[in-house]
Amino acid sequence: MWHEQRGEEEKRRGRFFINDNVDILREILKRLDGPSLGVAACVCRLWCSLTRSDDSLWEHLCFRHVSSPPPASVRAVVVALGGYKRLYMVCVRPVLSRLGHSERVRKRVWTRHEVQLSLSLFCIDSYERLASGRLAGADASASSLMFLCNTVNV
Amino acid sequence: MKRERAEESEVRGECSNTGKGKKMCEEEEREDKLLAGVGYKVCSSDMADVAQKLQQLEMVMGEDGIPRLPTDTVHYDPTDLYGWVQNILTEINNNNDNAPNHNATTNALVPSPIIADSDNHLGAIPLPYVEAYPQAENQIENQNHYKRFKSSSSFSSSSPLSSAVSSISSENALPVVLVEETGVHLVHALMACAEAVQLGNASLAGALVKHAGALAASQGGSMGKVASFFAQALARKIYGFYPHETLDSPYSDTLHMHFYESSPYLKFAHFTANHAILEAVAAAETVHVIDFGLKQGLQWPALMQALAVRPGGPPAFRLTGIGPPRLDDADSDALSEVGSKLAELARTIKVRFEFRGLVCNSLADLDPSVLEIRPGESVAVNAVFELHRLLARPGAIEKVLAIIKRIKPEIVTVVEQEANHNGPVFLDRFTEALYYYSSLFDSLEGSSAAASEEALAMSEMYLGRQICNVVACEEEERVERHETLGQWRVRLGSAGLEPVRLGSNAFRQAKMLLGLFGEGDGYRVEENNGCLMLGWHTRPLVATSAWRLAPAEFTRWVRVRNMP
Repeated sequence: MWHEQRGEEEKRRGRFFINDNVDILREILKRLDGPSLGVAACVCRLWCSLTRSDDSLWEHLCFRHVSSPPPASVRAVVVALGGYKRLYMVCVRPVLSRLGHSERVRKRVWTRHEVQLSLSLFCIDSYERLASGRLAGADASASSLMFLCNTVNV
Repeated sequence: MKRERAEESEVRGECSNTGKGKKMCEEEEREDKLLAGVGYKVCSSDMADVAQKLQQLEMVMGEDGIPRLPTDTVHYDPTDLYGWVQNILTEINNNNDNAPNHNATTNALVPSPIIADSDNHLGAIPLPYVEAYPQAENQIENQNHYKRFKSSSSFSSSSPLSSAVSSISSENALPVVLVEETGVHLVHALMACAEAVQLGNASLAGALVKHAGALAASQGGSMGKVASFFAQALARKIYGFYPHETLDSPYSDTLHMHFYESSPYLKFAHFTANHAILEAVAAAETVHVIDFGLKQGLQWPALMQALAVRPGGPPAFRLTGIGPPRLDDADSDALSEVGSKLAELARTIKVRFEFRGLVCNSLADLDPSVLEIRPGESVAVNAVFELHRLLARPGAIEKVLAIIKRIKPEIVTVVEQEANHNGPVFLDRFTEALYYYSSLFDSLEGSSAAASEEALAMSEMYLGRQICNVVACEEEERVERHETLGQWRVRLGSAGLEPVRLGSNAFRQAKMLLGLFGEGDGYRVEENNGCLMLGWHTRPLVATSAWRLAPAEFTRWVRVRNMP
């Protein structure tokens, strides 16, 4: 009986279900940090597809803490080289974690130098993928950004 | 401990002068009556000690009989012979800056205190080496050289090999050498062998190189590896087996690639050079970069990306890559492959790109007209670890610098090893190279962000080839003629180029790049009068500098051009 009462109350108020309002969901996801975004991708299929397909979420993640917004031409370059998600995974996350202490990562403000450095490394990575992709059966593990993947005793 | 002993003997000396002391001395031990008759006060029990120390003092004094003491010598009471001899010996041993050679010879000459039972002790090195240790003619060079050793070694304590090398030149111990550290002994053996090679004593050198090789094999870590490369190179030199590795091959490319991966030196070079180029061509509509050593073209993606995000849109980018002829492939294949990879990347990021590959054996053979400089384009010349090769042929570097001046570039970026491996004396080159490459190997091993085992081994091979060239080759084959930043400054300055300061942005970016390799590591970025140097702990290893035509050259060109 109590359940019935509750159900009626909710029907009266109008039930709000986040998955029905994808634009609000997107706005919320934009404000999450890296690990949380990864967790969000595991919630349900809708959230997973959003985080995978919508590169602008990752763009916000990459440049959220930049003191001045990057020039417009950056987007074209990043998209061409593999997208913001890849930029984050390959370059931004390791760079941030190595250059800033892990507790302060979220609050740290990036300088344009760090942005430039990440972009350069990203470009080198794309170049190497291009190069190894052309040679069929080449050793794809050789990458000059391997040093970023290896754990470092910071 | 020495000081305590010195103080003790001083106290004793004082004792022997005062009446009280005399009584004490007489009570415990008797003074030697014969010496007392001549005026010296020595306790009988100290006699043997004093005799030994006098012997050591005699050895340390050298052929001319003058002890090398500093000018502000404290004069001790010579009647107390024990204390006097003790103090002088202590002073001489502390004063290594002025007499390193003699310390070394003294150490080698004292046979008994060294561990006699082990095979590996200095006594095994036959005397001819020791007596043949460089004397007068190399004195000054060696002294300056060892001075450098000492001043840099007093700070660097990280690497076992460099501290071993430094301990030879700055031994503060008494002349009695206890060769417990195999590292020190290994270095001794290598130096002894190099010296024998310099003197042309082939049989001795052969024996020593085997000895050194065996020691290196038993020693582990970076020290053993670098020592075995040097021993190998010495063996090649002794037996006349010169390697013919003048032409490139795909294997060299792989080695280079792995060196790029596993250490920051090449990345540092590329990033700092790119920064200088970007600043110089900031306003240009067409940028033409001439790369003196294209290799895999790893420097250019980052530059293209930076040009792509430039406010106002990217300029047109022309790259002329110069490379050596190849062993197996058709000459231009390798270069054009790199070119097409770069072209694809440029297409992706929407930068207008044009590539040209030039094959030539030596940069001095280049004809400027082949470079096809078009009017209106900003030219940048990039030479990463390439210019030193030109020093092998007389006149080559001057020719290339003249070519550079004719092209009239906005900027010339030069990255070189920070070491002098081009001196006239073989032993000096050998010692410099030993110190340099041991720091380099230490950094490869010590870096916590080290890549895979395979990459590390390949990088070491890459460096090993350089070592072989520095030690074993001569004349035109020895292309690894590294020179220091100071030397390059003089050379380029006298050729009519003036330095361009690299700026704090480049410094910051370089520091950041090094930060990625591990905060606690030993890499250091230093600024040196507008140039940037990357080093391991306190030893600078690679230096980047930027240059442009001095104004005088410009006006001269204008005048010449306007002449009818």
